[in-house]
Amino acid sequence: MNIHIFHGFGDVLRDVTMALSPLLILFLFFHFFFLKLPLRRLIDIGVGFLLSYFGLAFFLQGVHIGFLPIGEIMGEKLGTFPHEWVLVIVGFILGFFAVYAEPAVAVLNRQVEKVSAGYIPQKLLLYTLSIGVGLAVALSMLRIIYGISLWYFILPGYIIALIMINYSSKAFTLIAFDSGGVATGPMTATFILAMFVGIASVTEGRDPLLDGFGMVALVALAPILSVLTLGILFGRKEKRQDGDLE
Amino acid sequence: MENIKETIMEVIYSVLPITLVVTALQFTIIWLPMETFIQFLVGAVMVSIGLILFLLGVNVGLQPVGEMIGSALSKTRSLWLILFFAFVLGVVVTVAEPDVRVLATQIDQVSNGEIPQSILIMSVALGVGIFVALAMLRIIFSIKIVYLLTIGYGLVFLLAAFTPPIFVPISFDSGGVTTGPLTVPFILSLGLGVASVLRGKSASRDGFGLVGLASIGPILSVLILGVIYG
Repeated sequence: MNIHIFHGFGDVLRDVTMALSPLLILFLFFHFFFLKLPLRRLIDIGVGFLLSYFGLAFFLQGVHIGFLPIGEIMGEKLGTFPHEWVLVIVGFILGFFAVYAEPAVAVLNRQVEKVSAGYIPQKLLLYTLSIGVGLAVALSMLRIIYGISLWYFILPGYIIALIMINYSSKAFTLIAFDSGGVATGPMTATFILAMFVGIASVTEGRDPLLDGFGMVALVALAPILSVLTLGILFGRKEKRQDGDLE
Repeated sequence: MENIKETIMEVIYSVLPITLVVTALQFTIIWLPMETFIQFLVGAVMVSIGLILFLLGVNVGLQPVGEMIGSALSKTRSLWLILFFAFVLGVVVTVAEPDVRVLATQIDQVSNGEIPQSILIMSVALGVGIFVALAMLRIIFSIKIVYLLTIGYGLVFLLAAFTPPIFVPISFDSGGVTTGPLTVPFILSLGLGVASVLRGKSASRDGFGLVGLASIGPILSVLILGVIYG
């Protein structure tokens, strides 16, 4: 057995130091000039920084030794699989489950239920989102298989979104554009993306740089469209109620 | 303690489902050597431990820092100070965002070092910084967010016509990863702090929309990077 765990950990630690020190310097600046916090608070914050430091280091190490290389190998294996339609299904399943359990979605769910006063039930949003992201990842698979430019998805996607704003209630519009990030959790941007790069690298005529990336972009578009759709449904109901009152 | 348990469950919920799907794929169609597959599982465990520690750290230390800086800034009531530090905060937080680092590393590797990790991270960070500052302007002058979104995405599509094609997917992906576990709470607390001090309590809804604006920044800045490269 030849399993690497701490291979290249020194580089990762240096990377993390560079990542966190600007924030630390900014905090110290504010501490000395504005905040002047008591020692107990300072210790709490110091502990927070230490935890984040080692947390980020382990996370990146896990990504470097596990997710990136193995994701690519798995992608290469999948890319040579003889039945291409299987890839599209695999994409849908990956996308669906990437969001279904994502904690950030729970926060979004609560927001939407609150703003719509319960009219949009949490389960409805959860399924809309999961199916939306599943379709986004499945479409990204189709992109690689047929070499379709990202434009053909992104341009109509955002134009539709901007048109939908006119019909959606305002609170929903804001939530929709904020929610782009909920689906791009830690698994999407690391493991699934590495897999896509792997698939693109073994598919003939595809450039991994041009065709492998772009998946996150589609995954970020899915929640925007999903929430706006629910916003239009809710806006209609609001209008109908206004009409009833008159 | 309750907090720790919640964070652990949160991380397990976001890592486990995909790990299970991949395990199922491994034993149906992928069939990698066992050694390689175990390496994947080791990676998943390390990523989970790392995320748990990181999120706890964000809760205990980093997020309070964001809130304190946000409210200290708003109390100065100086437009220029607020805008300047909103920009700095946006940059600094993005540099520390885990997903941004990973995406930049992958792009660095796939492009064989032609688009180096450090340059990409810097341009994403500048993009977020500028748009966080713009988002503060929006709160202070209550500009309609729809206008900003339309102008923002309009610029994106215009710029994309002048940039080499390989930068298009990369730029949109950068926009997607900036909204990670560190940036979102930071930007939200900054925005809410500024909104509540400057415009009274009723403005709390202004906090919404900030993240959406912040994710346009990196798309634009990476496209500009592409124009410079091309």
